[in-house]
Amino acid sequence: MLGYQNNILRINLTKKEAKTEPLRMDWAEKYIGSKGLSIKYLYEELKPGIDPLSPENKLIFMTGPLTGTSVPCSGKLAIAGKSPATGTICDCSIGGHSALKIKYAGYDAVILEGKLDKPGYLFIENDKITFEDAAELWGKGSHEAEAMLIDKYGHDYSVISIGPAGETLCTMACINSDYYRQAGRGGMGAVMGSKNLKAVVVNGTGGVKIPNIKEAVKRIAEIEKEDTLQEDNTFVYDGGTTAFLEACQDGGILPKLNFSDTTDEDWTKYNGEVLLESLEGKRGCGSCGLGCGNFLKMGDVVCEGPEYESISVAGPNAGNSDPVAIVKANQVADDMGLDTISAGDTIIWAMEMTEKGIHDFGVRFGEMDKYIEYLKLIARKEGIGAELALGVKKLSEKYGGTDFAMQVKGLEYPQYEPRGSWGMSLAYAVSDRGACHMRAYAPNEEVFAASIPPYTPEGKGEMVFNLAQWNAVKFSLCICDFWGTLNMELMAELMTLATGKEWTAADMAEVGTRVINIARAFNQREGFTAKDDTAPKRLFNEALKNGPGAGQKIPEEAFEDMKQQYYKVLGWDENGMLPESLLATL
Amino acid sequence: MVITIKLRGSLIKYFNGQREKTIEVPLDCSAEEALKLAGIDWPKIENFGFVAINGKRVMIYDKLQDGDELKAYSKISGG
Repeated sequence: MLGYQNNILRINLTKKEAKTEPLRMDWAEKYIGSKGLSIKYLYEELKPGIDPLSPENKLIFMTGPLTGTSVPCSGKLAIAGKSPATGTICDCSIGGHSALKIKYAGYDAVILEGKLDKPGYLFIENDKITFEDAAELWGKGSHEAEAMLIDKYGHDYSVISIGPAGETLCTMACINSDYYRQAGRGGMGAVMGSKNLKAVVVNGTGGVKIPNIKEAVKRIAEIEKEDTLQEDNTFVYDGGTTAFLEACQDGGILPKLNFSDTTDEDWTKYNGEVLLESLEGKRGCGSCGLGCGNFLKMGDVVCEGPEYESISVAGPNAGNSDPVAIVKANQVADDMGLDTISAGDTIIWAMEMTEKGIHDFGVRFGEMDKYIEYLKLIARKEGIGAELALGVKKLSEKYGGTDFAMQVKGLEYPQYEPRGSWGMSLAYAVSDRGACHMRAYAPNEEVFAASIPPYTPEGKGEMVFNLAQWNAVKFSLCICDFWGTLNMELMAELMTLATGKEWTAADMAEVGTRVINIARAFNQREGFTAKDDTAPKRLFNEALKNGPGAGQKIPEEAFEDMKQQYYKVLGWDENGMLPESLLATL
Repeated sequence: MVITIKLRGSLIKYFNGQREKTIEVPLDCSAEEALKLAGIDWPKIENFGFVAINGKRVMIYDKLQDGDELKAYSKISGG
C-alpha cells in the first residue's frame, strides 16, 4: 500500500546499532498505523512479564499512512511500550512535528530496544543515525534540554525529550516534544529514561508517496474545508480545551477536592475567558487545520496551555482558584517531564489524606506553593517526593485512603467525575492503559449531547464500545481528537486516498474492534482480568452533594452490569477474557 | 417574565455572533419554548448539545423562573 514508507528503523541502544527492515504490511492492513500497529508490534515482540523499566521493554515511535500528507489533523505520533505505571500496554498520542519528521526521514516507525551504557541522545536525519553523549543535558528540565538541542541543530529539527522525572524513572514521567506537547500518560518518559535516552533529535527531508496525488490533494482540501474547518470543530481554535471547563461545570462533571464532589462556585476565576486574557500566541501541530495551542504569559510564567485536565486538577480538584498557580503548575510539570494528571492527582490525594488526618503529607487543599514544589520533588524523587512518586495506587495500599484513591490499574483518574456520567466509570475501568478519558469519552453522549441519560447503566456497554472503536480507528490513523466530526466513512475515504486500496466504513470499524481486542489480549497475557477493571469505592459510597447530579452515586451492581454489557458486545467472557476464537484473529 | 439566554460553542451563530440575549417569555415557560422564542429550533440543529438553567444541566422541558439564566451548548468533542 502507498502512504507508508515500508521501512522501520530499529535501534539497538545497547549495541548502538541502527538497522532498517520492511514494515510488516500484513500487520498494517489489519492495524493501520500509530496506536493499532504499535500495539501489534509490542504484542508480537515483547515477552510477557518483562519489567517495563528493563532493557527488554521497547519504546516505539509509530506514524501512520496519513502522516506527512495534507490530511488535516494527521500530525500525531504514537509512542508506545509496556507501562511501568500499570504493567499494561500503553500508547500515547503526541502532537507537534516529530511524526512528520520521522516519516519524511523515510520511516514508518522507530523501534528503540536495549539501553545505552550512559546518558545519551539519538540523532536521526534521513539515513544518518548517530548516538550522542547527553552528559550536558542530563538533569536539565525538558524545556532547557530541548532549547540546547535546537540551538545546536536549528529549528528544522524536532526534539523528543524527557525531563528529570524520566531520568529518575518516575512512573508518572511523560515524553515531551516541541516544548509543550506530551505523550503524557502511563510513564513512557520513565521507559525512555530507563534506556538512558534523554532525547531524540529528528529531521527528514523526503516525502510521502500517495496515489493520484493531484486528485487526492484536491479532495483532501475539500474535506478540510467542508468538514474539518466547520464551526463544530473550530471552537478549539478559539479557546482550546479551556472551553470544556464551563461545560463540565454546568454538566456536573467538574471534580472538586479530589473528586469528593462536583462543581465549583469559583470557576469563573480561572475559566477560559480569564486565562485567554493572557494569550500571547497560537500554534498548531504539523498538518493541523485547527490550531488549539494557546501560549499564555501570566506574571513571569510562560506556558502553552493549560489544557482542561491541567486546569481542573490544579484548580477545583486542589481547592485552588488562582489562575496563575494553575498555569505555573502546568509549566513546572511540563518542564519536569511529569504527567499533569497523575502527578496532580497524587498531590490532591495526599491533600485529602492530610485533611482527614489519615497521614500527614504536609500539604492541604489550596496550598499551591506546596503543590508546585511537590511536583519538582516528585520528578527528582527528593524528600517527600520520593514517596509521592509511587502514585496513588501504591500510596493508598501503604497508607490507607484506598476508597478515595482515584485510579484504575495504577493510572490516576482524568478530570471527569463519573457520578455525573456513569459511562465514564466504565470507560476508565476498561481502558487499555488504566484510567483514561481518551479511549471512550462518555460525557460526549451522556452530558454534552444529552443523547443517553447519564445516571443509568442502561446501554452503557454499547455506548462505551462505540466510542472506543471510533477512537481506536482515529488514533490508529494518527488523527487528532479535536476533529470531532470525523466519522468512519470519512476515515475510510482518507485511507483510500492515501493508500490506493479501497476501504469502507465497515473495514475501519473492524480495525477499531481488532485494536481494542489486541490491547486487551496484551493485558490478558500480563494477567489482567475483570477484577482489575475497577472503580474507586468513592463512586459507590458517596453521593455528590452539588451540581445537577446532586444525590448521585453509582450502585456497585450497576457498575458490574455495565462491565458485563461491554464484555458481551466485544465477545469476551464474563471474566473479561478474549476467547481463543478471538485471539486467533489478531 | 424576563430571562437571559446564553449560547455557547457554535450556537452563537443563532444570535449573529452574540453570546447572550435577554428576552421576555410567558410564565411557566420551558427551556425549549424559550429557545424557540429566541429563534432556536433545537431539534433541527444537528450539533445541539445540552441546556443548563442557572449553571446546572437540566432537561429541555424543564421550566424557567423569572430572572433565570438559560444556557445552551453545542456538542463538544475531544478531551
